[in-house]
Amino acid sequence: MRNLTEHADSINRLLSRYGVKFGIYKNQTFHEQLFPFDALPRIITHDEFAVLDKGLRQRVDALNLFLSDIYHEKKIVRDGVLPQEFLFASKGYLPECEGITPPAGIYSHISGIDLVQAKDGGWYILEDNLRIPSGASYPLIARELCRRASPQTFRQNDIVDNRNYADMLRDMMDYVSAPGMRVILTPGRYNAAYFEHSYLAERTDSALASNADLYVEDNRVYYRDYLGQAQRVGVIYRRLSDEYLDPLTFLPESLIGVPGLMAAYRAGNVAIVNAPGNGVADDKGIYYFVPKMIKYYLGEEPVLKNAPTYLPFYEEDYRFVMENLERLVVKDVSEAGGYGVVFGSNLTAQELETLRKTIEREPRRFIAQEVIDFIDLPVMEDGQQVMRKADLRAFVLSGRETRVWPSGLTRFARQKDSFVVNSSQGGGFKDTWVLSR
Amino acid sequence: MGIISLEKRDRLIWLGRYTERTFTLCRALSRYFDHMIDMDENAYKGFLDCLGLPYIYKDSDDFIATYVFDLKDPNSLASQLSRALDNAIVMREELSSDTLCYIQMAQDTLRAGCHDSAPMLILQNVVDDLFAFWGSADDNVVSEDCRTLMKCGKYVERLDLYVRLGYPYHDIDKETSKLLNRLSKVRFAYNEPAAKRLIGLTADEESYHANRQQILNLLCSVLA
Repeated sequence: MRNLTEHADSINRLLSRYGVKFGIYKNQTFHEQLFPFDALPRIITHDEFAVLDKGLRQRVDALNLFLSDIYHEKKIVRDGVLPQEFLFASKGYLPECEGITPPAGIYSHISGIDLVQAKDGGWYILEDNLRIPSGASYPLIARELCRRASPQTFRQNDIVDNRNYADMLRDMMDYVSAPGMRVILTPGRYNAAYFEHSYLAERTDSALASNADLYVEDNRVYYRDYLGQAQRVGVIYRRLSDEYLDPLTFLPESLIGVPGLMAAYRAGNVAIVNAPGNGVADDKGIYYFVPKMIKYYLGEEPVLKNAPTYLPFYEEDYRFVMENLERLVVKDVSEAGGYGVVFGSNLTAQELETLRKTIEREPRRFIAQEVIDFIDLPVMEDGQQVMRKADLRAFVLSGRETRVWPSGLTRFARQKDSFVVNSSQGGGFKDTWVLSR
Repeated sequence: MGIISLEKRDRLIWLGRYTERTFTLCRALSRYFDHMIDMDENAYKGFLDCLGLPYIYKDSDDFIATYVFDLKDPNSLASQLSRALDNAIVMREELSSDTLCYIQMAQDTLRAGCHDSAPMLILQNVVDDLFAFWGSADDNVVSEDCRTLMKCGKYVERLDLYVRLGYPYHDIDKETSKLLNRLSKVRFAYNEPAAKRLIGLTADEESYHANRQQILNLLCSVLA
């Protein structure tokens, strides 16, 4: 391991060489910056990963069944497991997706599940990302470069090779594809995750397209090549949000969507990865119900736990949240990327009061969670090991079967005692090793 | 991937042009810089005249600091390279990461070198990276269409700069042949009458010297 950390600067230089960056907007200006990489990996033992693998597959299978149910029969609502008024208040629920069955019946093809490990060793799910989870490309390329920098580290340790992500992705895309080519649809060069879009296009041998390259005719999607010939598109791994996907169905002012795409999708002539409308299942409020979904759809006990969560929507939880606000973490269900997260312990009395009033006014908008004292991981800083909070984004791919990528994106806070690990807020990343025995 | 959209066709041509612009101007500057050491401190003005650029630089030091390194100067080498990278980044799946990285490295080198006391050495490193880019493109870019489009852009730009900088006829003759060879391989429509006129105007040294402006005009339209 020491050999690997000794080469950390070289690895970061290589990451720079390959343009491994992410973009952020500050003061309405686009800045591209390197994603700081720490060479000390997170290590997950073989047995630990077996539990994660089982629990993550179970969770994603249940979420896929939930999405199918919600956009068709809504049995879970009829059976009183999930309150109707709560479900339909979700911004992620899209009436435009009612009755659509995506190719192969899969909604969440790529699920990014965020977990933390508590100090007792148990893993807790923090949130499910079922729309456009990003981040797999970073540990993917970092592993490649770490192997170059320190081959002996990988010779001496039994580490599962994670470089099959692109193969897994391509297999999944081919499985759900209608006849035609693979496309990764990007909103463009100034998207925060553009590196990932272009890198995954390269690695999966897909065309990286913007909306100008695509058009719909007779409910079929085509890619227009430079000779003016039309190439049929079978599957689109889209990296833009639902509301911008098709101006004829969603926001008419969208300039980055493909007019008519939803009609082609509805006709079963193209697969969209992930399916539009998934936001209803990764709503932070719906998260509360996922353990209930697992029992309801699969008849199983959840393998992985949610962080203890309270819904002010329910009277009992509302009272509890109001009485314990100063020790809970409150999340705005409509925010993402670490925004809209407030730790009660960091607020002044006046700020707490303001938050109470906001929750009173809009109880559906918030969830509250116990603060999990998750483990710190060692991080190299100026040649010294320091301890920092870290989470894990696991990637689960659903195609012919549901598979967990034996790796993941470990993000860490760069400030001491900070819980905020998001790259957009200055966090760094690590490789995630799964041991083969 | 090999299936190239109309927008990407343009990207590839401009990638070739901006890469070549940076490359050729780096090499041309080396000669001007040498003159500026102890022969003619204002030699850079001749360089600006050739390219039709305004005299906005206070002196030779300001010229080096601004024209070479300053991204705020739209004519600077840094700006040309930045545009090359902008066009390359959106073509990663065609170029491959292993090829694209040489343009990224060239830009990193130029940015890191802005306070260096030896700008000539920095430019040499940039030239090396761009050489490596083309070598890697030949080796790693699978699609022949993709390579052809980039090289069409490259040779149009090279000819344009050689004409502006007054390069000798044998260079013009050689580069015209390379451009025509590339054009013979393209599968897209280009301006064939312009290409034929170009052949005529560069047929001999006398014609080249007499028709430099017309040659520049034709180069603007040959890929249109």
